[in-house]
Amino acid sequence: MFNRICLASGLWILTAAASLASPVTVVAKGADGRVLSGAVVSITVAGAPRPQPRGTYTMSQQNIAFAPHVLIVPVGATVSFPNRDRVRHHAYSFSPAKRFELKLYGRDETKSVTFDRPGVAAIGCNIHDAMSAFVFVTTTPFVAITDGSGRVVIDGVPPGQVSLALWHPSIRAPNNSVSRPAIVAAGGLATEIAPAR
Amino acid sequence: MTFSKFRPTQLRTRMAALYAGLFILGFVVVAIVAQVMIEGQARRSVTAEMVTSGTVYDRIWALREQSLTGTSDVLARDFGFRSAVASGDQLTILSALETLKARAKVPVAAVVGLDGSVTGATGPLAQAMAQLPFQLADGRRDAVIGLGGDTYRLVSSPVLAPTEIGWVVFAVRLDAGEMRSLEKLSAIPMVATILQRSPAGHWQSADGVVPPTSDIDTLVSSSRVSRVISTIDVGGKEFYALARPLAGPQGEAQAVMLLRYSTSLALAPFRPIQFGILLAGLIVLALVILGSLRLAGAIARPITALQRAAQALEEGNRTEVDVIGTDEIGQLADSFNRMSAGIVERESRITHLAFHDQLTDLPNRAFFRQSLDEKLSRLTRTGEQLAVLYLDLDGFKSVNDTLGHPVGDALLRSVAKVLLGLTPDGLVARLGGDEFAIILSSGFEKDRPRALAQSIIDALVEPMLVDGLCIPTGASLGIAIGPDDGANSVQLLKNADLALYRAKQDGRGVFHFFEASLDQAARERRQIELDLRSALKTGQFELNYQPIFDLNAHRIGCFEALIRWNHPVRGPISPVDFIPVAEDTGLIVAIGEWVLHEACRQAATWPGHVRVAINVSALQFRHPGFAATVMQVLARSGLQPNRLEIEITESVFLDGDGPVMALLQKLRSLGVRIALDDFGTGYSSLSYLRSFAFDKIKIDKSFVDTIVGDASASAIVSAIVVLATALKMETTAEGVEDALQLAELRDKGCSSIQGYYYSRPVNGAAAFEMISDPNFAAAAA
Ligand SMILES: [Cu+2]
Repeated sequence: MFNRICLASGLWILTAAASLASPVTVVAKGADGRVLSGAVVSITVAGAPRPQPRGTYTMSQQNIAFAPHVLIVPVGATVSFPNRDRVRHHAYSFSPAKRFELKLYGRDETKSVTFDRPGVAAIGCNIHDAMSAFVFVTTTPFVAITDGSGRVVIDGVPPGQVSLALWHPSIRAPNNSVSRPAIVAAGGLATEIAPAR
Repeated sequence: MTFSKFRPTQLRTRMAALYAGLFILGFVVVAIVAQVMIEGQARRSVTAEMVTSGTVYDRIWALREQSLTGTSDVLARDFGFRSAVASGDQLTILSALETLKARAKVPVAAVVGLDGSVTGATGPLAQAMAQLPFQLADGRRDAVIGLGGDTYRLVSSPVLAPTEIGWVVFAVRLDAGEMRSLEKLSAIPMVATILQRSPAGHWQSADGVVPPTSDIDTLVSSSRVSRVISTIDVGGKEFYALARPLAGPQGEAQAVMLLRYSTSLALAPFRPIQFGILLAGLIVLALVILGSLRLAGAIARPITALQRAAQALEEGNRTEVDVIGTDEIGQLADSFNRMSAGIVERESRITHLAFHDQLTDLPNRAFFRQSLDEKLSRLTRTGEQLAVLYLDLDGFKSVNDTLGHPVGDALLRSVAKVLLGLTPDGLVARLGGDEFAIILSSGFEKDRPRALAQSIIDALVEPMLVDGLCIPTGASLGIAIGPDDGANSVQLLKNADLALYRAKQDGRGVFHFFEASLDQAARERRQIELDLRSALKTGQFELNYQPIFDLNAHRIGCFEALIRWNHPVRGPISPVDFIPVAEDTGLIVAIGEWVLHEACRQAATWPGHVRVAINVSALQFRHPGFAATVMQVLARSGLQPNRLEIEITESVFLDGDGPVMALLQKLRSLGVRIALDDFGTGYSSLSYLRSFAFDKIKIDKSFVDTIVGDASASAIVSAIVVLATALKMETTAEGVEDALQLAELRDKGCSSIQGYYYSRPVNGAAAFEMISDPNFAAAAA
């Protein structure tokens, strides 16, 4: 919920100009046909303005877990990694989107990483193998995380030809992502997206 | 089965064969059962061992996987390595893999990227390794693949950062060495072989040690479901085997591990048991054959003995079998012996019965004749002599008649005892009735026959005490000496009989040697017999009449008719000579009938007061037609019945007095008179007087002869007369020869007399004249 609010507040200015556009509803499904929650659906519209970083983005480490699990940030955003645990953490990412290594050995120690390239950075902790998180670095403002029923509703998408993309770590495809073209009508769009079986 | 067909040796062999066969059958069954059980036991035991070993192999297999995955995990989680993989630092990756291969003794190791790229391996194996992470189902870390003739075990570990960015994959070749190291860990000497599926679809080992067979295919296919142990044939040897399909990348097995265990090795521990059973069976079989031969012999031997004994018995020999033991055979032998003894005993008894007299147990006539013949035939060789003594008891018939047969039998037994006692040197036999005979065989002293005969007579002249009765007895003997008096038994016995006959004629209680004249007399007797028959037909008989003078009426009251035989050649023949012959031959009936007719015919011509007295012999009297004959005679002659006087002697009563009495009563009812002749000479005359009212008693001549001078005779006559008078019977004294006798008789009250003193018997015509002549009567008076 926290990241939804963040996202919504972050996109508010961007969407104001296209407030006349109808909402796009997408249901994400996995390769097995079941709805996919926690996946990222993004719509790329040619000519749409890039989103700008606003405020702070945080990926905290609390109770030996990253929170949130998936963090969507615009390109160029700086994300702080506070350690709220008493134990040490050693956050790292070998992803091409952003390679970094943060040795957070103190409580309330905070380090920041700036994500200046679009893509997904898979973040782990070298001490705790079970800890995992993703920072989704986006170039489009029309992006959201599917809810428990695998659904997203994205407002403000202008009608016309768009590219619809779905990301989830379980998707066995390059960059764990699939995409397809779609046409958003004046009345919006209701569709599904799923990786090829 | 007859005894002759019976072969005990066969029995023996058969029994032995039967028992041995039965035992072998039983043993084979036991051996088969044992074999099956041992086989089953061995199989169970081997199966259990193999299952255990299979489980051990599973554990080893799993441990190896853990070991391999552990090793690859270590590498896959190394931060630097992950970094190198994530950044695609090929050199770093390769060096890390080399280090790992050396450290973990893994021949091939590679890193597979998410895109399927392979770092660290090349060739077909590299392709297979590249596909592995994508083919393995979730949770699986290893798989076995067949690649050409080789089989590899592939193990993969994901490289996480923290999401999968690639995999570390190891390949271990499952070669013979790998198999041997596995085998070493098994408790039993199993052979492990990797099988691959041939292009034709059959499972076989790449090196050809395990060729493809349907058994193995079946084993493999059934092993997919569960663990199965079956018997397979490899290179001509039998093995227990189980197959362990080795999961391929996608589950389907590309290789199978075959674990086999030679059955001969598996069964080796049981060989001693099987050998022991076989050895024990053979030993017991030998014992059974020996034992059954012995047993059969023990049965057959007595049976053989019994069979021989039965044959001997069949041939008439008395045999005994040694009784062995108390079992059935022993009992059979015992029974046989008793049967044999019984047969012999019965045979001898039958023989004894055939040749012995049952009453006295003396040899009988047949035996006597046989012995006599034997002894005579022996004599002709030795020139010696033998004597036959023929003995007849005097008055035995009356003993039987008056005292009964049991007493008579007892008397005969006593006589037999006496004879046996007196004749230790001869053969005593009973020829029948009261006739006995003795053979004195060769070697006797010349006087012995005479001495023996005399001693017998002396012994038997004494009354014998039989059944508490004192019985007067006596014997007459005839003696014949063989072979002079007869060369064969028939002749000799006949002559002894003739001598006996003569002895009896001489007066009883004497013995007589055979003389040739006796034979002559016998011949005459036979001639008389022949002549008698024609005499009756040709009328050679005539009747004489002796007057009986009535002392009270002083006249002839009666004539006694007396038969005379005027033989055409020999002249007159005395009744003494021919009546016994007539009685012996039965001619007496016909002769008596003629006498009756003739006498009555004659009497009918006499004055009414003259009766005719006719002697009727006992034989004639007892003849069934006698009463009818009397009636017929009376009717034909017209004679008044009361003028006929039948004279009978006491001998008519000898066969019991019932029928005699009835006949007497019948004659009496006709009116015929009955006189009792020869009174005083029998045994119990007085009782007859009491039982029938005779018309007359005739006092025997023997009393009359001595009536003068012999007080006892006189007294007897007096008594008879008194008795007769009291019983209202007439008396006639016979044989009166002189006046003194007449006077005495008259004095005693005798009612009539008969005798030479008055008149000899005269012919019919003279009798008629005598009646008419009154001087006769006067002369008698
Ligand atoms: Cu940590």
